[in-house]
Amino acid sequence: MTTKGTNAETTMTEVGATQKSSIGVAEILAWSSRNGVFVFTALLIIAALVFVDGFASLINVTDVFHRAAPVGIVAVGMTFVVISGNYLDLSVVAQVATAGVILIAVSNTHGIFIAMVAALMAAILFALVNGIAVGVFKANAVIVTLATTFIGLGVLRYFSGGSIFFGPPDGIIKAFGMGKVGPIPYSAIVLLVMTILLSILLNRTNFGFLIRSFGVNESATRLGGSNTALIVFGAFLVTAIAAMVAGFVLAAFSNTAVSNDGVGYDFRALAAIIVGGTSVFGGRGSVFRTLLGVIFVSVLTNILVLSGISFGYQQIALGALIVFAVSLDAIGRKVAR
Amino acid sequence: MSQILELSDAKSKGFFGRAGTVIGRRTEGRGIALLSVILVIVALTEPLVFSAYSVTLGRIALIGIVALGLTAVILMGELDLSVASTLALSGVVMASIPELWLGILAALATGLIVGLINAFFVSVVGINSFIATLGMLFALRGLAFVISDEAPVSLVNKEAGISFGEPLIGPITPRVLIFILVFIAIQIFVSKAQAGREFFAVGGNRQAARDAGIPVTRRIVTGFMISGFVAALAGIINSLERTTADPTAGSTVLLTAFAAAIIGGNYLKGGRGSIVGTLIGAAALGVLQVALTISGVQVPVQQIFIGAILLIAVTTDPNSLRSVRGSIRTLRQGRAKNSVTT
Repeated sequence: MTTKGTNAETTMTEVGATQKSSIGVAEILAWSSRNGVFVFTALLIIAALVFVDGFASLINVTDVFHRAAPVGIVAVGMTFVVISGNYLDLSVVAQVATAGVILIAVSNTHGIFIAMVAALMAAILFALVNGIAVGVFKANAVIVTLATTFIGLGVLRYFSGGSIFFGPPDGIIKAFGMGKVGPIPYSAIVLLVMTILLSILLNRTNFGFLIRSFGVNESATRLGGSNTALIVFGAFLVTAIAAMVAGFVLAAFSNTAVSNDGVGYDFRALAAIIVGGTSVFGGRGSVFRTLLGVIFVSVLTNILVLSGISFGYQQIALGALIVFAVSLDAIGRKVAR
Repeated sequence: MSQILELSDAKSKGFFGRAGTVIGRRTEGRGIALLSVILVIVALTEPLVFSAYSVTLGRIALIGIVALGLTAVILMGELDLSVASTLALSGVVMASIPELWLGILAALATGLIVGLINAFFVSVVGINSFIATLGMLFALRGLAFVISDEAPVSLVNKEAGISFGEPLIGPITPRVLIFILVFIAIQIFVSKAQAGREFFAVGGNRQAARDAGIPVTRRIVTGFMISGFVAALAGIINSLERTTADPTAGSTVLLTAFAAAIIGGNYLKGGRGSIVGTLIGAAALGVLQVALTISGVQVPVQQIFIGAILLIAVTTDPNSLRSVRGSIRTLRQGRAKNSVTT
């Protein structure tokens, strides 16, 4: 089974939808849910450049990159879970915090290499629990990952005592967190590299093909002779490793780590994925689209912050954005049918 | 109450095997098993939980109210994650209106409106209820922050709040009384009223229900409005007892209420479930939480306990276990075939 470089978003589900010749509401809705993010992101950036004071300043651009990178890394990883049709992985909240705390706390005592191995072990453990519960027991991914979030955070808070861990002021972690190429911090480069690697994994490998086909039709994939439990585990593993990298990047940026670090990452990553045009119904989506969604969400958040809009309104805006983007997808599908 | 029973698996061996099948077959079986295990352990280690029964009953009531609302939605195979924020939002709405009765009415209306919006996105637009209510969870939390100015709002009428916490008859505080009333109302609605019984049909097979002439969309609207209303009720009770409304309230309640509803035998894909089961689940988790708190267990460890119970509850559902048995069987067959061919 090779995919011969097919683009991820043209899967079997849409062949029927594109056969109509007349341009109707269905086509417009379907098009805007698929490609709207290009237009909206461009419009948003132009609007920000024109109307928002201080958006184009070097400090602000670097700040946007710094804030976008960890969310983006989580989002490109979680795209795999969404495309595989398992909605999302809420436990990234716990995974990001766990990776950060392990990185700082363990590298202070045992060195950075052992710390990274320990964080990787934790990530694999998260993926194992999520993957077995969802893949083998066929339990609902939202509920399972809600449970693992609380278990993970509970364990982390118990062992860390809720305290903040500080890295050494002249260590390699801090050097990485502060490092930049021009206005672009290293973390944004990590995001770009992750996007390219995961995009290749999704579009050019057998594993990526199986993830997409599982998202389109679960039983067909199983009857095709694939081990569906392994596919689900793989999707959660990609997410867990991405969340681990995001935790590293986040901890390196501030050179500190605390068990609350991951709060809000589930939600912002999901917003980025959905706005990018990856379908929550599974099967359709791409990693590059998620990157665009990350840019959109980050720029939007930055504009709201620069305009002095309070945290509450930001939450409302992002929640409404998710529901709006999913509605567009759902209505587009309904009309096309 | 247990709608779909498995009639096979009768070839049990001995008493324990038979008990195992009964527990596995009954909708409420797992809830009863968990409750009895927790009751025995707590009775042996922390009997204070039972002598301080008013605290325990109050805890069960708070978990139970939210879980009962969730059950109405889960019966139809939908999910309402927004209950946590509805709880916080309705409390904040109530506290920010000086007149107490007006505030309570406004809070209840908030719950109904939230339910209506959820139902609109789920049944009219056709979004998956996990995602729609997740978006609402965050949006409503934001709204609660906006209304409250990001700080807890104290009740204007503190006396009402204090008198609300005093027992009426014996250990029955108003909170427990409301819980009992909600339980009776939902139980009668689901088992006796036609609309409520149709919830099972909508959850079991939506297309068949539609073909049989059941107004599916209206049932879904009813379900989400019940869950929104009940969550608002929980928010009102919560803020009345604390005499302040906290915009961050409710996130742990969400987890616990889900655990209670699922361990009570409510199947997440709908069609099978029981209000009594939810009550049993809420009782088990309420007793557990109070026992853990009394014996001085830290909050993170309590979270681990509740999270683990939710994980166990969702993976030991009869349907989950059946799919595990199925995959083991295919694995074995595949191995047998491989060994034949090679």
